[in-house]
Amino acid sequence: MTEPELEDVWRRESPHVLAALLRRHGDYADCEDAAQEAVAAAAEQWPRDGVPDNPRGWLIRVGSRRLIDQLRSNRSRAVREETVGTAQPADAYVGPAADDDTSPGGDDTLVLLLLCCHPLLTRPSQVALTLRAVSGLPTAAIATAFLVPEPTMAQRLSRARTTLRDSAVRFEKPTSEELPARVAAVLDVLYLIFNEGYARSTGDTLLDTSLADEAIRLTRQLHAYLPDHDEIAGALALMLLTDARRAARTDERGDLVPLAEQDRSRWDAGLVGEGVALLEEVLPHGHVGAYQLQAAIAAVHADAQRYDDTDWAQIAVLYSMLDQVAPSPAVTLNRAVAVGMSAGPTAGLAALQPMVDDPSLERYHRLPAVRAHLLEMVGDLAEAERQYARAVELTSSRPEQRYLAHRLTRLRERGATGR
Amino acid sequence: MKYVILIHSNPEPWGHPTSDFVAEHQALPQEQRHALNADFEALLTELSDNGELVGGEALAAPSAARLYRWDAGRPLATDGPYSEAKEHLAGFFLIDVETQERAEAVAARLIGPGETVELRPTMSGGGDDQ
Repeated sequence: MTEPELEDVWRRESPHVLAALLRRHGDYADCEDAAQEAVAAAAEQWPRDGVPDNPRGWLIRVGSRRLIDQLRSNRSRAVREETVGTAQPADAYVGPAADDDTSPGGDDTLVLLLLCCHPLLTRPSQVALTLRAVSGLPTAAIATAFLVPEPTMAQRLSRARTTLRDSAVRFEKPTSEELPARVAAVLDVLYLIFNEGYARSTGDTLLDTSLADEAIRLTRQLHAYLPDHDEIAGALALMLLTDARRAARTDERGDLVPLAEQDRSRWDAGLVGEGVALLEEVLPHGHVGAYQLQAAIAAVHADAQRYDDTDWAQIAVLYSMLDQVAPSPAVTLNRAVAVGMSAGPTAGLAALQPMVDDPSLERYHRLPAVRAHLLEMVGDLAEAERQYARAVELTSSRPEQRYLAHRLTRLRERGATGR
Repeated sequence: MKYVILIHSNPEPWGHPTSDFVAEHQALPQEQRHALNADFEALLTELSDNGELVGGEALAAPSAARLYRWDAGRPLATDGPYSEAKEHLAGFFLIDVETQERAEAVAARLIGPGETVELRPTMSGGGDDQ
């Protein structure tokens, strides 16, 4: 067995092994250590003795033994009993055999995902822990994908472990009252991972996969566990419909290609079809949340053969609905764009006016960028120039800045020859 | 979101931590100096523990700099300092935080008397295609 093969087995089995250990002993940090030792033992024994028939059972058995050894050696008996007594589920002593890896609901990974996105953890810690525990990725790979040094990422993980330990967070499925909010947090974390990967043109590589692909894989799993949860289906549809544009959204230099200029023949029809099918199934249920609405908007874009065929009136309606469910400056702004495209740039500028008058949005770079576009369309080139210049100063996205700087330069050249 | 925090200072003689050598800082009562220094250390520990500190360095004296300029078609090297300004770049931190508000709070805690702290967002490779 080669190292990459072992890596594969580990990535596949890691959430199950961790979950099995966590059901016996609630402390995440201890269980992660024990699981890590089981992998180390596998790396030593499997190449020599061959891969066991049931690798998962083997890893769980070895991990459990290491966990018991750890508890014996690290703590005095009294302390151990106290900790074990509070941290273990009631059925721990009469529970399943050491190599039985199925919990009653068979939803180990789900409970682990919910644990990783626990509300006590900060968002960066939730992201790090999800990729570490559920995806089984090494800390170094996660750090590289998020463009931070390994010690910084290790610190986020360590803080997460400490928080879970200090708060004695249990490894158990939340009550049905808690579940919706907990699932919502998982979706936000998965979408953040997706976006972190998707938004970037390069550098989001995670070993042999990407952040976006990994987020989609985990969301698919979540959808399989909770098929009746419409927002999970919505988030999955949104990721698929967005990811479908991946090949078309950057040019050969890695520069961003705006939606208006993308070659739609390069959109992935398979992903679009899957996303649309998911939406068509859940939208009629009527519990329309923010992810379903954003997915619906992406579906309207996907439905247009050419940019000029886009049903902007429909998109404006969907953004108005989104403004009710999950209001944000980005939503208001996108609604104004849709209004501008369907009812004309003057109407779009009017829709933007409340944002222009809001001092808290003074540094929001997309506002001058959108105003500049609309001003260019109505022919107010001098003001468009000023707004482009403002947007260039405010954005911290390199591709967006290059795009805006090109628009500004073109406008200035036009002005120079026209004058 | 990543930000670089640039510390512009004028320690005399040049030294780190700069607060030990900045006149305005030295003029403060001992107690207040201790409190400021302790808060600085606490902040660094906090950033590191949170996984918010990405990196940082203290810089050697401006006079130790070598400057390169294009001159008649080829590079010409001279000795520093880069600028005649009173304050010089003395060091930097790179942080990765969740919000602009958090970055501003961190920068505000790094400032002491006689120095200027500059908070600049870094450019990211990501972008929106809408």
